[in-house]
Amino acid sequence: MRCLRIITVLALLAARAPSANAAPPATRAGGDTVVVFTAASLAVPIRAALDTFARRTGAVVRQENGASLELARRITELHRVPDVVALADEEVFPKLLVPRAASWYARFARNRMVLAYTDRSAGAANVSAANWYRVLQRPDVRVGRSDPTLAPVGYRTLAVYKLAEQYYRVPGLAARLEARTTPALIRPNASELVALLQAGELDYIVDYESLARANHLRYIRLPAEIDLGDPARAAHYARASVRVPRRTDTLTYAGAPIVYGIGVPREAPHAAAGARFLAFLLGPEGRALLGAHAVDVLRQPEFIGDSVPSALRRARR
Amino acid sequence: MTTSAPPVRATHRLATTGVVAGSLLLMLLLALPIVTVVLRSGVTGLQQLGADAELRASLWLTAQTATLATLLTVLLGTPLAYLLARERLPAASVVSALLDLPLLIPHPVAGMALLLAFGRASPGGAALAAFGLAVVGSRTGIVLAMLFVAAPLYVSAAREAIARVDERYESVARTLGDSPARAAWRVTRPLAGRGLLAAAVVMWARAVSEFGAIVILTYNPKVASVLSYDRFTGEGLDAALPVAAVLVILALVPLLALRTLRARALPGELTR
Repeated sequence: MRCLRIITVLALLAARAPSANAAPPATRAGGDTVVVFTAASLAVPIRAALDTFARRTGAVVRQENGASLELARRITELHRVPDVVALADEEVFPKLLVPRAASWYARFARNRMVLAYTDRSAGAANVSAANWYRVLQRPDVRVGRSDPTLAPVGYRTLAVYKLAEQYYRVPGLAARLEARTTPALIRPNASELVALLQAGELDYIVDYESLARANHLRYIRLPAEIDLGDPARAAHYARASVRVPRRTDTLTYAGAPIVYGIGVPREAPHAAAGARFLAFLLGPEGRALLGAHAVDVLRQPEFIGDSVPSALRRARR
Repeated sequence: MTTSAPPVRATHRLATTGVVAGSLLLMLLLALPIVTVVLRSGVTGLQQLGADAELRASLWLTAQTATLATLLTVLLGTPLAYLLARERLPAASVVSALLDLPLLIPHPVAGMALLLAFGRASPGGAALAAFGLAVVGSRTGIVLAMLFVAAPLYVSAAREAIARVDERYESVARTLGDSPARAAWRVTRPLAGRGLLAAAVVMWARAVSEFGAIVILTYNPKVASVLSYDRFTGEGLDAALPVAAVLVILALVPLLALRTLRARALPGELTR
């Protein structure tokens, strides 16, 4: 009898457990749930905006971070669809998500590549915008970069090296700089590099200015001809073409100004709530929060594609 | 109520049904995902072994590092397991609890902890560097991460295996003139041998499957778990599953070996 009672109790517990878990998100004040996939380099700024949005509206917010190409794969391959997806390269939208997984996206923020380091980095005392490419070639210096097959920051770093070779007129420079990072020092995304730099494993990383500022790293601004930060130089950047060999094929990326993209996927489970968060993020308050985390937000987000929610069109200004 | 026969039988039948249904449910939960992966991509994975040098290198690296981590643990962990089993350690319960701690720590945190303790900038890392070893982006890092997450499994299973061997056999050897260490080596080690081997196989299997701690320390060169995740994120599900399927198929070898050893070990084992 006791055995039966135990089984009954267990069965009741098992039956109740899922609803007990699911209840709070669905029924809290406001009832909105917003799931956001964020490129690693946007994780902290968007977390700040999400927290304010949650306080303001009572919405339940959830965030998943990763490399931009990895996040796009979660949507297209695993069919795990968030309500908002924010990526470090707007180009990932047309390449992987539009038109099947999303019908539109917004270009919303800019960034530039910098050379980040810390006080204890080898050569930290002398490195400058004039000699950085020579310091990186010193044998005692450990240089990290991201995996170009996973993260935009990875192929952008290679584009920076190509542009540096042209700018400084040093033949073979790009290949030499690329070879300075052995596979052992390559990491999947922009944020993991920062962690290794902080842990003292790396001396220098080529990474986004926003991450360097947000993590209080020392960094060197590279010339505008190199740093992929100036939209007016799009034609110049495009002269750096980067080939990324993969197991089965080779990807080619043309250098381009760094522009972040954000959107609500077609099959977002809470699409309306996602659009409301986006309206908040692209509005004055959201822009200020992103700006406080060193993200260079466009004054006017640019919408690309069809059927942009009307709430967003209204919130543009 | 319990004195009348029919309700008892009905209760028993119900309990038996419950036990069987529960067992089947658990088996289904455990087996279904693995069978799905193997059925879907097993053949592709095995075919790919021939053409995919990166996959072969990764499986080889995984086997090597897991074996090295296991050997190191057997070497260092068996004496410790013996002391714990024979309660020869002061504060044995504290030591046991400390040994369980790595099992509690989320694996990425274990990776970060190892990075802080043995990274280039730490005293531990400086000591390793003196021997030409670095934990980031190296085999050393892989072995260290595997050891950290899997060694506690070996020590606790080895402790159980040794505790099952009656201490009186050692006492007999002692009365015949063996030193304590010699008695443990000549009497207890062979009697606990199969249990120790089984413990080592469990540790090896756990080391092979480790991902979270390894990927923090060593993303390249890639062990099989990192490679399958990397293929998934870079190329998608269809590229990742063959790697996982091959790993599952190859992992069957030590698991079958373990089961065979256990089956043979039980009947004739000398226990108290």
